[in-house]
Amino acid sequence: MVSIERIVFLLQKELILEWRNKSLLASMLIYVIGASFIVYFAFQGRVEFQVWSAMFWIIIMFSAVNILGKSFDKEVNNQYYYIRSVIPPLELIFSKLIYNTGLLVLFELIIYLEMALFFGIEIEKQGLFFLTLLLGGIGFSNLFTLFSTITARTGNAVLLSVLGFPLILPLLLLILRLTGLSEINDITLGDQNLNLASVAVLDIITWLLSVVLFPYLWNE
Amino acid sequence: MFEKFSKQIWWKVITVIALLYTVIYGFLVKIPDLPILEQSIRNLFFHVPMWFGMMLLMLSSLIYSIKYLSKGKQRDDVIASTTAMVGLWFGFLGIFTGSIWARATWGAWWVFAEVKLNATAAALLVYCAYFILRSSFNDPETKAKFSAVYSIFAFVMFMVFINVIPRLASSSLHPGNGGNPGFNSYDLDNHLRMVFYPAVIGWTGLGFWLCSTMVRIKLIERKLDDLD
Repeated sequence: MVSIERIVFLLQKELILEWRNKSLLASMLIYVIGASFIVYFAFQGRVEFQVWSAMFWIIIMFSAVNILGKSFDKEVNNQYYYIRSVIPPLELIFSKLIYNTGLLVLFELIIYLEMALFFGIEIEKQGLFFLTLLLGGIGFSNLFTLFSTITARTGNAVLLSVLGFPLILPLLLLILRLTGLSEINDITLGDQNLNLASVAVLDIITWLLSVVLFPYLWNE
Repeated sequence: MFEKFSKQIWWKVITVIALLYTVIYGFLVKIPDLPILEQSIRNLFFHVPMWFGMMLLMLSSLIYSIKYLSKGKQRDDVIASTTAMVGLWFGFLGIFTGSIWARATWGAWWVFAEVKLNATAAALLVYCAYFILRSSFNDPETKAKFSAVYSIFAFVMFMVFINVIPRLASSSLHPGNGGNPGFNSYDLDNHLRMVFYPAVIGWTGLGFWLCSTMVRIKLIERKLDDLD
């Protein structure tokens, strides 16, 4: 039923469109650089790791709202009937989720590089930290992709933050704990795995909900 | 099911009796002599049942949202939004009574170390967002569909937040969490139990009574507007 070929094709389409109109990418790049720079100045360039990770994830959260908030604009407003007639909703949401996760993880890496450069932070457990980045990116994009359909329909951009922020809290809390763990050397493996597993489970839950609920929003 | 119960009278009588009993006997009942808690333990008859009531109301909101998505009847949407509204109201009452209790026992109106408290506050924010979402649509069909989707999402995350996160966190001030003694040791006191169970029935009953009345009003309004 779901054809992989079409999903790959949709992904290609997204990439080409994004590349053709580079202004969005460029503005997002400047946005994250500006945000990190403001944080750097506001804290006078010196913070504890805990504060650093909190600021880091908050910047990611706001960037995610801005990056993913427009992900359904074209589909809902200009090409709705065309896309609806040629692509099943499941394929559309799969391609969007994959694409948005990739995009968000890319920006997470950019933010990380900057924040690490500015504040001179060195992560003890690189592997765990990057795994956290990946899991966080997946969770954020699952949530905001689904809700961006709603905001595309209403045309109210603030709505995405209103809907998303309270729901992202459990995920954000777990991710912050996990980021904190990547700085401590002598944690037990069980503690780390429990936290990793709970973030992964939350990712799966948000993914399932997005995939199950999206067709209802789409076939409207 | 909602329709069947909303016109019956027996459970409303039980609700009134249970509530009167709770309010009067709750303040007269002999309480166990416990340090710190002391008289504030009577809040057990208000704070805890309100949470139970809220959970049940949110659960019925979820059930009617799913029902709406599968059948598409406007009635179900009316019931889902009304139960969510009354549930939200109970949630605020629960936070309010809990805050008073926290002041008496933990020494502050609001405590950060308490995960459950903050989790619930966030969950209430989610349901506020639900009503903001509802108010931003004009078309009732779209409104119903989108808010049903959000409500399902919200309930699942709300459950995770209230039930899973506090268990992962190591510190909590609530009884039964983070090494604190559970209420079981107090519940063994039969005097408390005699008021607590009727209190649960009474407050939950009140919640559903409010819902059924509000739903009936809204349905009549719809009829007057010739929507049904």
